[in-house]
Amino acid sequence: MAQSSRASKGAAFLIGAASVALGTGVSAHRLDEYLQTARIAILPDRAHVELDLTPGVAVADRVVQRIDKDGDGALSVEERQTYARQVLSVTELRVDGTPLQTTLVAAHFPDVEAVKRGEGTIRIDVDVVVPLLTAGRHQLLFRNANDPDSAVYLANALMPENDRISIARQVRDAVQRELTIDFDVRGTQTLSPGESLFLGLAGAAVLLLPLLRRGQRMRKIRADR
Amino acid sequence: MHSSARAAVAVGLGLSGIVAVTAFAQRGAAPAMAPPRGIQAEVTARIVTAAQGVLATLDDAGRAKVQFPFEGPQKTRWSNLPSGIFQRQGLRIGDLTPPQRAAVTNLLSVALSRDGYRKVTDIMRGDEVLRTEQSGRGRAAPQGGGGGRGRGGPGGGVAFGEAEYYLAFLGTPSVTAPWMLQFGGHHLAINLTLAGSQATMAPSLPAAQPAAYTVEGRTVRPLGNENDKAFALINALNSEQRGQAILGSRVADLVLGAGQDGRTIQPEGVRAATLPAAQQTMLVDLAREWVGIMNDAFAEPRMAEIRANLPNTYFAWSGPTTNGSAAYFRIQGPTLVIEYAPQNGVDHIHTIYRDPTNDYGAKFARK
Repeated sequence: MAQSSRASKGAAFLIGAASVALGTGVSAHRLDEYLQTARIAILPDRAHVELDLTPGVAVADRVVQRIDKDGDGALSVEERQTYARQVLSVTELRVDGTPLQTTLVAAHFPDVEAVKRGEGTIRIDVDVVVPLLTAGRHQLLFRNANDPDSAVYLANALMPENDRISIARQVRDAVQRELTIDFDVRGTQTLSPGESLFLGLAGAAVLLLPLLRRGQRMRKIRADR
Repeated sequence: MHSSARAAVAVGLGLSGIVAVTAFAQRGAAPAMAPPRGIQAEVTARIVTAAQGVLATLDDAGRAKVQFPFEGPQKTRWSNLPSGIFQRQGLRIGDLTPPQRAAVTNLLSVALSRDGYRKVTDIMRGDEVLRTEQSGRGRAAPQGGGGGRGRGGPGGGVAFGEAEYYLAFLGTPSVTAPWMLQFGGHHLAINLTLAGSQATMAPSLPAAQPAAYTVEGRTVRPLGNENDKAFALINALNSEQRGQAILGSRVADLVLGAGQDGRTIQPEGVRAATLPAAQQTMLVDLAREWVGIMNDAFAEPRMAEIRANLPNTYFAWSGPTTNGSAAYFRIQGPTLVIEYAPQNGVDHIHTIYRDPTNDYGAKFARK
């Protein structure tokens, strides 16, 4: 209890100090919270998650310390990758109850000073291979447990760009740490006119090839005679 | 209110008052139907003339500051944040002479509707009140006023207030070719793209802090209509509709704010098609608070699109439904996304207006 009281006094001091440094006009720009925004795109064979992490100025030093393991004031490529993987290790993605393996596609870190000012956004891009989905209703679960003490979460499904996928419903917990997306997968993929033309020509070529070869053989036999 | 804040506001009021009279004379009530294209072309011509009027007051250095290529990084360089945290480029209002400032004011009054002009100046004045009140408490954000000393920038601290707004032209002001008028600062980003007789102001970000302040005994609420109309709408819904509109989670911030170009989230909430005509009208009227910031001649075609797409438009809500509470709401349809997001209380509001089909006039360029 005493510890928690000291912690709140410490946080209050940090917020107060930041307010004095930046002015209260800026103080309302999320000083003591760690904004974590997830946007999820669902495709027939995979999902893509964009995670934007913006620590407020009063929590930024703590976040920077977690990234800057050697404490040299700079965020090395290795430290960035390690932090991104650490974040991924506490996020959970499931489709129809099956946990999915995430692949870190990219991690963009702003200038460390921007993060310390509370206005730098760390962007983590993640790809997730989704097992072959049959036509019908499916469910994707996303849960973000990164830095829960100061976190403010937002989680949303992006409008599907593939016409085989449609979002039926999004359900979140009260603080948006967890998002469940019910989505529908339509049957086999329809072909575009270009794809249809290509396949038609390829099929015709397969059928005509033996006839052409036979013609060539006949011409050769006639020529030999 | 602090006396220096009153003085600053009085100066602002005086300047804007002159232009407001002109603007009032230029416009009547919002027409119910889209105006003929000839009127839009005429308004474009007036805006171009006003923009050229700004350029005529500048020397070469000033023109170099205000002019940017139409396609380039400046297009997406806007934010709700103050200078120092976010560095804008363009012509800084606080650096202008009175004739230059008058030319900029005239341009805004021609480009925006009467209500839109008032909203923009109310937001700027509110930012000045915020700055002045903080000065009074001895912890001001440094401000250059008209002289530009101590203003924000890399290593220069945080700055905001009426002087800390920037104007930029992307492309050459033209009655035929696409170009863009960009005006913004702390809690304001107006991106008006013009292409001949067409225009859009998506994406734009009107915000406010304080959400209410007093000038000469009059209470000013820059985004008061947005707030009040939204609460009226949510309370006009029956329990079933309200159940569909209200999301079961806290929405702490804008989802599609600055830096989120090109993304469209899945719509949520109650579908407008299921609402009675009276509530549909309330929803359209609420959307007009954003779309109608630009000149009526350009707002009406965008409003016609919104009305045509109303069956596929959604209204979502998060938070209490008693006016005076902090509540988030979103209107989303094929040609609009509007978000209203109070920041830790009711005195600091962020909002965004986007058109997923036409941000920065993308649709005009495709034609």
